[in-house]
Parts: sequence; structure tokens; C-alpha cells
Amino acid sequence: MTPGPVYVTRKFTFSAAHRYWQPAWSAEANTRAFGSLTVTHGHNYTLEVTLGGAVDERTGMVMDLAELKRLVGEVVISRFDHADLNADAAFAQGRIPTTENLVRACWDLLVPKLGERLYRLRLWEDPTFYVEFLGP
Amino acid sequence: MSQYRLTRSFHFSAGHRLASAALSDEENARLYGQCFRPHGHNYTVEVTLTGTLDPVTGMAGDLGELDATVAGVLLDRVDHYDLSSAVPALDGVITTGENLARTFWAWLAAALPPGRLVRVAVVETANNTFEYCG
Repeated sequence: MTPGPVYVTRKFTFSAAHRYWQPAWSAEANTRAFGSLTVTHGHNYTLEVTLGGAVDERTGMVMDLAELKRLVGEVVISRFDHADLNADAAFAQGRIPTTENLVRACWDLLVPKLGERLYRLRLWEDPTFYVEFLGP
Repeated sequence: MSQYRLTRSFHFSAGHRLASAALSDEENARLYGQCFRPHGHNYTVEVTLTGTLDPVTGMAGDLGELDATVAGVLLDRVDHYDLSSAVPALDGVITTGENLARTFWAWLAAALPPGRLVRVAVVETANNTFEYCG
């Protein structure tokens, strides 16, 4: 078998509320910059977790996807599903829960569990928009 | 600085046919088959930008600005037109998915800040996608 990395992607979904609000700014400046996004609303997010790595020749797998499901459920889904993102510690001190900041928060939660196997996160806010992050 | 890639999808519907001016009708019909006949698609265009994070806004790109740019330079030009006869900017272009991806890239690259555009994908049908990355 050829030795190069194989990429494996699993999808997860969660629903969460957020609003765009920069506390360092006036209400007028927030409305001007973010418009209707300043009002609390929500999304059905889809998170695609892509692992890259060598295939374990004994199992034929890069990673046991049941184990991946358990890890992502434990550190990401249970934390953000049906949650108000603005109230989460990951979005304190003026860190607005944009899709960019949310995908980064997911990355920072998953790296300690997955290490270098974590290749890419793709976070869909809705069917028309996603942000990808491949590491800092 | 960490890079983020933002992908936004847009839709338009248009007519077209595939035909080369260098070929006869018989040759075009043989080459392009049913695509030589006038027909149309519900197209999806995916536009991917790269950017660094603004820590104050939490954004690596402004979707409102992108929406306005794509509407102005792309969607308004092609939505509900016949791409093969009614869009002057496509004169002489065989409107394959490949050529549309390259042409849309050129239109968008000229209208966006330098270095931001990294990918244009033309999804002609659920089965056929054409990507151009410059």
C-alpha cells in the first residue's frame, strides 16, 4: 500500500444562538457595522472535521470514527449545541462569536484531543456560507 | 497571521448552448451532443476568499461587501440571460463550466482587493462542478 496521508471527514451538527456585538463600541457603531446581526438569532451549524494521517495497517483506518464522534461530542457539541455562544467563555472579552472565531474555538478545543491528525475544520453557518481553518 | 478561508454560494439561472464558431453545425453537434441544443441551468457559484482575522470584528472578510460585489459584477450580468448570445462580456466564449469559472474569476479578481480571491467554483448541475484557483 502507498504510504501517503489519507484524509477522513466526518460531519457534526449543532444549533446555537449568537449576536454580533463589540462591547468596546457604541450601540450606533455596532449597528452600523453589523446591522441585523446585532440582534440575537441562531443557526443550524454543520462542522466538518477532517483528519489526515497514515492508515493503520492493522485496522485499515486513520482513526476510529466512533472515537472521533465521542471526542467531538464531548468537547464541541455538548458545549455549543443549544447554547448561547455569547455567554460562552470562549467568547469573552469582546471576542465576537463570528463563524471565523467559532471555527477557531472548535480548533483550539479539538487540537489537544486530536493533535496532528486534525487537518482541517470547515464550519457551515448555513447552506450558503462556510469558513475553513487549517491551523494557526 | 492565521489564514481563514470564507466560501459563499450564489445562484443564478441562465440559458446557453455549447458551440464553437470554428466548427460546422454537424461538427458541433457531434462534439457537444445534447449540449449543442439551447438549454439552461440553475447555476451555483462558490466564491472563496482568504483573509486574516480582524480581532475587533472577529471577521476575516465582509460578506455584505462580497454579496454586493458578486451581484454587481457577476449575477446582474448573467442571471436570466442567454449566456451564448445576450451577454456581451461572454462574446466569443464557449460557455463550458471551465470557461465560465475562468471568466467569473477574471470579473471577480478585478473587483476584489488583490490577493483575496482564491477559488471560484461553477456548479452547473448537482453532478458537474468546475473549479478555478487562478
